[in-house]
Amino acid sequence: MKAELSPRRQVFLYGLLCVLLIPFVFPTWWMVTSSVKPISDIFAFPPQLVPARYDWTTYSKVFELQPFVKQYWNSAYIAALVTIGTMVVSSMAGYAFARIRFPFANTIFMVVLLGLLIPSEVTIVPLFQMFLKAGMVNTHWPLILVPIFGAPSVFATFVMRQFFIALPVELEEAARVDGLGRFKIFRKIALPLARPALASVAIFTFLHSWNLYLEPIVFLSSADKFTLPQALTQYTDAYGGPMWNIQLAAATLTALPVLIVFIIAQKQFVEGLAHTGLKG
Amino acid sequence: MAEVTLSNVRKSYGAVDIIHGIDLGITDGEFVVLVGPSGCGKSTLLRMVAGLETITGGDVKIGGRVVNDLDPKDRDIAMVFQNYALYPHMTVATNMGFSLEHRGGSKAEIAERVKWAADILGLAPLLDRYPRQLSGGQRQRVAMGRAIVRDPKVFLFDEPLSNLDAKLRVVMRGEIKSLHQRLKTTTIYVTHDQVEAMTMADKIVVLNGGRVEQIGAPLDLYDRPANQFVAGFIGSPSMNFLNGTITPEGFSAPGILLPLPEAEHGHKDRKAVYGIRPEHFFLDENGVPAEIILVEPMGSETQVTMKLGETLATGVFRERVSLSPGATIRVRPDLGNIHLFAADGGQRLN
Amino acid sequence: MAVVQQTARPEARSSSSFWTIARRDSLAGFLFIAPQLIGITLFVLIPLCLVFWYSLHEWNVLANTFTYTGVANYEMLLEDTSLPSVLGATAIFSAGLVIFNLSLALLLAVLLNQKLAGITIFRTMFFSPVVVSLVAWTIVWGFLLQKNGGINGVLLVFGIEGPNWLREPVTAMISVIVVQVFKNVGLNMILFLAALQGVPNELYEAARIDGAPRFKQFRRITLPLISPTILLTSIITIVGSLQVFAQIAVLTQGGPGLTTTVLVYYLYQQAFQFHFFGYGSTLSIVLFAIVAVLTFAQWQMRKRIVFYES
Repeated sequence: MKAELSPRRQVFLYGLLCVLLIPFVFPTWWMVTSSVKPISDIFAFPPQLVPARYDWTTYSKVFELQPFVKQYWNSAYIAALVTIGTMVVSSMAGYAFARIRFPFANTIFMVVLLGLLIPSEVTIVPLFQMFLKAGMVNTHWPLILVPIFGAPSVFATFVMRQFFIALPVELEEAARVDGLGRFKIFRKIALPLARPALASVAIFTFLHSWNLYLEPIVFLSSADKFTLPQALTQYTDAYGGPMWNIQLAAATLTALPVLIVFIIAQKQFVEGLAHTGLKG
Repeated sequence: MAEVTLSNVRKSYGAVDIIHGIDLGITDGEFVVLVGPSGCGKSTLLRMVAGLETITGGDVKIGGRVVNDLDPKDRDIAMVFQNYALYPHMTVATNMGFSLEHRGGSKAEIAERVKWAADILGLAPLLDRYPRQLSGGQRQRVAMGRAIVRDPKVFLFDEPLSNLDAKLRVVMRGEIKSLHQRLKTTTIYVTHDQVEAMTMADKIVVLNGGRVEQIGAPLDLYDRPANQFVAGFIGSPSMNFLNGTITPEGFSAPGILLPLPEAEHGHKDRKAVYGIRPEHFFLDENGVPAEIILVEPMGSETQVTMKLGETLATGVFRERVSLSPGATIRVRPDLGNIHLFAADGGQRLN
Repeated sequence: MAVVQQTARPEARSSSSFWTIARRDSLAGFLFIAPQLIGITLFVLIPLCLVFWYSLHEWNVLANTFTYTGVANYEMLLEDTSLPSVLGATAIFSAGLVIFNLSLALLLAVLLNQKLAGITIFRTMFFSPVVVSLVAWTIVWGFLLQKNGGINGVLLVFGIEGPNWLREPVTAMISVIVVQVFKNVGLNMILFLAALQGVPNELYEAARIDGAPRFKQFRRITLPLISPTILLTSIITIVGSLQVFAQIAVLTQGGPGLTTTVLVYYLYQQAFQFHFFGYGSTLSIVLFAIVAVLTFAQWQMRKRIVFYES
């Protein structure tokens, strides 16, 4: 498989890769360029791959029509809290399931794994009723608490457990002999060594929270509480039709920062995901 | 520094007994080696002393105090692991000082102790490196340094040399031994290698199947093994065993009659095992005949695989033997070094 | 023997205090898992029981009535004329998604596993949609798939008049599948790539010496060795496909007709648009049953299709 390739094969492969790349890259390009085209040009024929004229007013409309800054902040702080919270909860639980012997550990682990099996859509009705009773509908609490403690964090716990199982147990035994208790071993030895696993848990969790759509539209009802995915679909005209250029401008603002962070740190992103207990 | 006492110590996982009631006394400053084949429970026993395994029954005392329910950190022991278990995210200096940090030493004190240990072990130039930048022997030294900085009551070594190559193993063996002579700290050392046990120990404990087979000084075990297991385990190449019967004329094994010391002729007609070490055969015109199967010259000595009657045996001779397989030599067992074991149970008879 | 049994029990020893090492470890273990365990109880186990309880009731939110109706909601499942097409759409969507996603992921992984300069740039670009916000990605595709949108514009340049993708039954389903695949195939691609790189090179060298042609090497060596990863990704992808919601809501709203109304979208409509919480809960139970059966089936299949487990 890894034999040297002949030049002709190489050209063929590059060509194939470039063709395959179109549906992955072109939409992002089209989103960014269309967002700065005047409304009259966005459906122009033939399609303009590079804008002929620029109209930046769509971007100011994004902020005029909705409290977009507030919505941006909502998404950002919720995702940050969920990411940090999940890292804490899942690393502790993953560590205990991997390393500490306690009664019913396996049974409890199986129960926790049930969370992987149950799509959050299954429990959305009772969760809505529970948060309604608790007076937390139209607040951000459901979007923060459920991912950190509920089903979405189970995957993170699983990843952390797989990582800790692979960590040499002698390191912790040495630390016990060196005078550390359980919690200190976790904090001073296990956690620092778990950085790669924590990084991929953080990436997964952040993207999951950032992308959440069903939960916000179920739980949130006022525009200043909305998160970004929900807000994007709210730029509609009087007939409910999408205001394409404004939606695309808002989508660009939503997607671009994450995309830039990804391109800068792509090595850690991709390799972190590939090497963290996810391998079969 | 302290003495360690195990009384009737047991370990079981569910219904499976791993350690069957072991009694062992280790005096202050003694170097004790636990040796036995893999799965004999020697590492488990060491880890029970360390507090890394729980104790199912009996008592472990360190310095006169029962430590059964104490955490490892409260037992004042230090341990060197088979894979060294150096913290990969800390430098050599931090690794060595780590235990002191958690016992409330000041920064200056810690630095001083680390420097003292590093000087003893020749680690001073490596203090700022990370474990991944060290060779196997250097990692081994750091692991020892981490143990000695604290001046613990007891050192525990769990097969510390098994990951080193043969040459380095001999060097480190000497270093551990001289370190012990210098520090005089009570030491329990686990190994499966009987050469390590023989060369390092003040006292050897031979374990098999979770039971003590024999406890004693290295040469006592070598000279007077209590049973056939210890006889076969200690010594390399290992002792030859021939099954047969004690008769007034000597020891009758299939196809051969071997000489016995006068004193042993009393066990008349008793089924027994005749044990003799390879180095206790002499080439002698008046000896018993042996057919040569294989000759392995080592230079200083010659190892010969031969057929005594119908049993294969090994002999080691100072002389150079230049005969080829198929030839017959005459060998004489050294009467003063013959071991007789019961055919059932393998207990020593003489 | 009697002596052995007596002393083997730790509580028979006079020296033991209550807080043995094992007990302290148990306490630590429970403290470490407490947040997760409480969370699972509160946000998964209790809701799961509640959803079952709700499914046995008729719940009218506007009239504020909550009456026990036994299995009436389950009988309604059988009478619901929309349900067959909803389940059909769900099955088509999931099957199409899994097949397209896994084959494309494997193809990309194999291509990216070649010795080519700059291959990591391609890897980065194939992966990039994974980090683009899901709704943003969907909006762009919705824009591209309009009757007069970018895709038909490009087709027209070549003289082809494209369909109104999102408004015709077959193309609408294809569209939602394709949009979802391009969004997330990068994840499976990376997992496959890691698995491919884990296949020892000596095996290929041995196969070359044995004279096995390339495609045979792939079928007889590569596929068996990465089969655990294939199983894992197919479970993740199938369960994920049953949860698709945003794409449907943004692109087609389940239309045209019911052709792209998958189970989760139908559930959302029944519970949160029409406020039939009882029936919505019943649909949740159906969704749960489907996921459970699929996962169980795949787990059973593991023994037969996975040739090798590390």
